[in-house]
Amino acid sequence: MTRFGRRDESLPDLIAEAGLAALRDAGLERPDALVVAAMNPEEFTGAGNYGSLIGTHFGLAQVPSVRVETATSSGVAAVYAGFAAIGAGLHRSVLVVGGEKMSHLPTPRVSEIIGRSIDPHERTYGTTMPALAGLITRAAMHSRGLTLREMSQVSVKNHDNAARNPFAHFRERVTLEAVMESRLVADPLRLYHCCPISDGAAALVLTDERAPVRIAGIGQGTDTMAVRYRSELTSFLATQAAAQVAYGMAGFGPERVELAEIHDAFSPFELISLEDTGLMPTGKAGRATLDGETALDGRLPVNTSGGLKARGHPLAATGIAQIVELCWQLRGMAEGRQVSARVALAQSIGGLATNNWVTLLEARP
Amino acid sequence: MIVQAIGASRCPRCERIVVPGARYCPDHPVAMEPATVPGIGEIVSFTTLHSPPEGFKAPLHIALIELEGGARLFCHGQETRGIRIGSRVGVESLDGVFYFSHMSYADRARLFWRRAGAGGEKVASITKSLAKGLFQGRSGGEG
Repeated sequence: MTRFGRRDESLPDLIAEAGLAALRDAGLERPDALVVAAMNPEEFTGAGNYGSLIGTHFGLAQVPSVRVETATSSGVAAVYAGFAAIGAGLHRSVLVVGGEKMSHLPTPRVSEIIGRSIDPHERTYGTTMPALAGLITRAAMHSRGLTLREMSQVSVKNHDNAARNPFAHFRERVTLEAVMESRLVADPLRLYHCCPISDGAAALVLTDERAPVRIAGIGQGTDTMAVRYRSELTSFLATQAAAQVAYGMAGFGPERVELAEIHDAFSPFELISLEDTGLMPTGKAGRATLDGETALDGRLPVNTSGGLKARGHPLAATGIAQIVELCWQLRGMAEGRQVSARVALAQSIGGLATNNWVTLLEARP
Repeated sequence: MIVQAIGASRCPRCERIVVPGARYCPDHPVAMEPATVPGIGEIVSFTTLHSPPEGFKAPLHIALIELEGGARLFCHGQETRGIRIGSRVGVESLDGVFYFSHMSYADRARLFWRRAGAGGEKVASITKSLAKGLFQGRSGGEG
């Protein structure tokens, strides 16, 4: 993957950098197929037909390619498409790449483009992603006892981890006070509870050959585009459904998971998602975070990469980047932040939890 | 305060009601039927946006409200002072945009009489929260 952050390179160049690194790592020159994840390249960069554009850009013009999109979880959706193609025997190797380039546009324009993944009626009320996350956070504070300190500690921890990750957008640590006193964005959410606008790309190679890490399970869960159609606001049914499918495929449950990458686009989402995936009992994730259970040296390290909050969130790159981080961890390649684990979980949220994914990875002995 | 009827749709299969009206049920591939629901409900959650998107002025108050009958809708409001999750609010549609307003004690008292005999528990809880509000000396929202 590429370093995330403000990048001057074009999106095709970023994706090529990540894709070529993944091919090199796999010892492969030409994959059987290419799956490209990009959420809003038309709006951000003005270019379309992204599967062909990327294939042509770095020497894979004659390789069959498709583009996959499920809003902010597009990266994992692309992994799923590649996984299914190999499982069906259509291809023996698939290069999965994803990326986004958006920091060259003004922030209100970026928010508006990302906001197109929200229900069109609800958008007419000014409901951006932070607005909906603010509503969810307030409801969680009311009904689940979530505290400002708990959700702020998520940001502190993830910045600590990112400081050890050379690919992260932010390498600076932040204090609990700085997070709790940062400016209000969507009451009660503050600036340091929100992920940044990042450029970047990530890639991985899927193969039917024996590899150091295997996908033990992968599951998708969906929910209504309209938040007003949901009766439950403080947990995501789409994550719960995805987790159930992934655990079912893997043949084991959350008790075997020793490491996780969680979609913390807004820091309270890390706590909600830890409970939705069954990694923490309901209502306990906040306390566990304050107690250091999810820190690098904790019982269940979460977001060793720095998460969306601090590694950064280039939309379609994110779901792939989560799996790349877990593969590096499982292979003992996460220099400076290495933990000991054999089974890992990645959870990705698309839109306002309309299209979520859970992936389980296992290191081969 | 006059309770406004809000346009909605009902699914003939699952009886689910959605606001505003929609052509198809989100959970069943069947056409919905027109319906109306009273513009009274409870705050599910709310937020204030300090950097709202283009076309809106800061601070922008947005609330998710559950109307009687179960349909939820997004609303704008003049302010969120005195509003809590669970607060009773009135909802009205102006030029196709929904607005919520905190119900004053006079509004609640009117509702009380309108509903006396309808649902004992609800009446009791309205009376209780009215009494609690008066006891604590909080100024009621202006309905």
